[in-house]
Parts: sequence; structure tokens; C-alpha cells
Amino acid sequence: MTERATGFWERFQQIPRYYIYLLLAAVVIWQILFPMPLPIAPSRATQGVYDAIAAVPDDKLILISTDWDASTQAETGPQTEALIHACLQNHKRFAIMNLQPPMGVKLANDIAERVAAEYGAEYGVDWCNWGYKYGFDNVLIAMAKNIPKTIGDDFYGDPVTDLPMMKGVQDISSIGLVIEITGLAAITEYWIGLIQGVYGTPFASAYTAVMAPGYYPFLDSDQMKGMLVGAKGAAEMEVLVHRPARATVIMNVQSWAHVLIIVLIIVGNLGYLFARTRGRQRA
Amino acid sequence: MNPETAILWAAAVATLGVYTILYRENPISRLFEHIFVGLSAGYLIVFIWAQNLEGKWWNPMIHERKWYWVFAPIIGLLFYFIYSRRFLWLARLVMGLFFGTAAGYFFREFFPIYSPQVYACFKPLRADATIGWADVILHNWLFAIILLTVMSYFFFSIPHEGRFGRTLGRSALLGRWFLMIAFGAMFGNTVMARISLFIGRVQFLLNEWLGSFLPWFAQRGP
Repeated sequence: MTERATGFWERFQQIPRYYIYLLLAAVVIWQILFPMPLPIAPSRATQGVYDAIAAVPDDKLILISTDWDASTQAETGPQTEALIHACLQNHKRFAIMNLQPPMGVKLANDIAERVAAEYGAEYGVDWCNWGYKYGFDNVLIAMAKNIPKTIGDDFYGDPVTDLPMMKGVQDISSIGLVIEITGLAAITEYWIGLIQGVYGTPFASAYTAVMAPGYYPFLDSDQMKGMLVGAKGAAEMEVLVHRPARATVIMNVQSWAHVLIIVLIIVGNLGYLFARTRGRQRA
Repeated sequence: MNPETAILWAAAVATLGVYTILYRENPISRLFEHIFVGLSAGYLIVFIWAQNLEGKWWNPMIHERKWYWVFAPIIGLLFYFIYSRRFLWLARLVMGLFFGTAAGYFFREFFPIYSPQVYACFKPLRADATIGWADVILHNWLFAIILLTVMSYFFFSIPHEGRFGRTLGRSALLGRWFLMIAFGAMFGNTVMARISLFIGRVQFLLNEWLGSFLPWFAQRGP
């Protein structure tokens, strides 16, 4: 059982967690309702994703693997939206697919429908949804050799071969860029181990902030063209596509929440240092 | 109440219900956790059927008369012999098949994943026409020092005694400091991710849910 704090500095180390939650909620609500915007500058990793999209040849598709679900939607949702804006602004055709969890393909489809309507992009011509395909490495190995046969039906249950944009799409050579959006570790390894590393298909990614640090070595070794890191990466992409939206708000609020956390860390450590000094003096 | 409003209210009530865990463990948050788990499982089953099994297995077997697909679920069901001592060997057959396939895949994936990262560790340590001294020292030398010291931290075969051992010990200590810095950066990212998710929910509650009946809140949204 924790010993009850008696001294002034000891109390700083034992602030009840409810107060911290309330403070954090207050800062978040304050900044959502009365924002004080801070500048957002795109990083090299985000710029790399944008440049990779712009560099895709017109006769090739961009494949967006939306392997996320509602639990990470605050980060991966805005990433998906900003990336679709980037595809459509650069007049690139794209296909959505999903390896796991299946919720991502529906959520991404809703985003794609909404964004495509803004640009007048048509389903089957400018973009399509290959749906949820179960089987991880089996799907990727088969898809590399024969996309129409592996995918079969699209998200709506119609054969993908009926879609105008799928005419001429045979194997992985028809894909100009794979973008993996995920909150799950290990799916990237499938894409790099079975597609990028074997066929040289350009690869970029968008991760939740939790898992992103583990994938910087892939960026350093040029196995990835670029990487969006959590809501920060999404906000940077929103800057590049000139569409400030949800992630821009999240990052602004985030910055102020981080200020609070830094202050709390300093207060806690000051409490610890002063309490230790006082304890030594008493001894 | 139209379906859109009902969905909005259900999402808001579920969000608030799950967040009651912040006060303490309670039946309301448990209820919504169970609802979420049940919904996810149900959704997965429907999607596996609708987007995979129906088109890839059921239709070919029933409508295209590819009768041999009937063996697929039979082979899959052999897994359940794990509960029988007498027929356990049947379960082991399919498990062996899966282990072998997984090992083969891993072996195939390993080199394309990791060999480029090994090559990327060999960076020029002298300036030339393509890279200046500032970049070489700031990026490549720093990278090389961190790489070697961190690797020395994981070198446990030599005791940190004697002249060479003590040098190795100092290098390992420096490597540990670099590792701590990396873990700090990872932890910072984790904090950022968790707060992002919280902000996302608060955005929903304020801008979408409250905004649906108090327009001022909707106007404060992105």
C-alpha cells in the first residue's frame, strides 16, 4: 500500500490520478472549443510519402492497405483521408484493400466515398475497393502473380474484372505504390518481405504513433519511401494537400496536452528531488 | 428518431460508458467492453463469410461444381482432435503442415526484410562530393557510435574486467544510455498516440454528438 504523503513536496509525487485525468480533459476540451493554433511543418518522412504518390506512373495503381479499425481511428482515419486527398489531387487511381482487421475496409470505404465525391471521382474508374482478404502472406504471394484471380470480388461483391480501372491489371507490376495504413505490427513485414523486397514495388506507410519508432530502420534503409507517424503524420499530410481537417485539430490540442504532461513530469520530479534532499538533511 | 441519430447516441453512450473505467472498475464499463468484443467477433464472422468464404469456397463448390473444396473444412476440423488422446495425431498432422508453411514463409521473408537494413549500416565516415563533413559527423559518425555501443551492450561473453573488458564495459554503459534515450522516444510516441485517441473521442462527443443538438458545438469542429 502506498504511504500517505505528509510533506508539501511529497504530495507533488502523489497527485491523485483523477486530478490528472480532469486536468487533461479540461485542456483537451478548452483547445477543441477555443483553439490557439500552432504551426505544423511537414517532416521528411511525410514529404517522402507525398512524393512517392506524385511519382506513380499514370498507368499504374496505388494500393492502399487499410489494416486498421475503430480502436485507432483517431490516428489512422485522418491518415487515410489525407492520403486519399493526395492520390486524387495528383490524379492517381487507387485501390483499397484490407488484410486485418476487417473493420478497416468499411471505415476506409466510407472515407473514400466522401472524399471521392469532393473531386467528382467515380467508383470503378478512379478508385475501387478490393475488400477484406483473409490470409496475410498467402494473399500477398498469390496477388503478386495474379491480382484479379486472388481478389475475385470487390467490397460490394462484384467481380473486380468488371471494373473499368482494372482493365490491364494483371500482377504486382501493375501496382506503382503500396501504402500500408495500420495500427498492427507485423503486417509491414509481410509487405516488405513478400512484395517490396522481392518485386521492388515502392512501399510507404502510415502507422499509429505507438508502433512508428520500430519502423524507422525501414525508412533509413530506403525500404520505405516515407512514413506518416500517427496523428502528427496525418496533420502534416493535411498541410501538404492543403486540407486542414481533423488531424490538424488533434495535433493542436495534442501540443497543449503535451505542455500539461511536461509540466506534470517537472512537478513530480521536483517533488522527488526536494523530498529526497529534505530526507537527507533530516538524516 | 432516425437511424443516424440513434447511431450517434449509441456511440456517445458507449464512449461515456467505457470511460467510466477512469473512476474505477464497474459494471457499466464491463458491459460496454463485452458489447464491443461481441460486435467485433460477429463482424469478423460475417466479413470472413461475405468477403472470403462465399466467393472463394462456397460458390465454387456449390455453383461451379468444384467438389474437391469439400475437403478444405474437413482438413480444418482435424484441429479439433487436439481434445482426443486417441486421434491427437490427426491434429498434429495439420499443425505440422501449418508450422512447416509458416517456417518456410518466415525464411523467405527474412532476407528481404533484414538484409537491406544490414547494408544500410555501412555508411561513409569521410566527406566526399556527395556528403559534407557536417552531415558525416552529425549523421554517420553518430549512427556508427550508437550502433557499436548498443551492440556491445548485448555482448555478454566477455567479463568487464581487465583492460579490454573495462573498455567494453564503458562502451556497454554508453550503449545502455542510448537505449534509454530510444525507449524514452518510444514512450513519448506512446503518450502521443494515447492522447490522440482520447482527443478523437472528445472531438466526437463535442463536435458530433453535442453538436447534433447544440449547433454551437458543431461549429467549433474542423
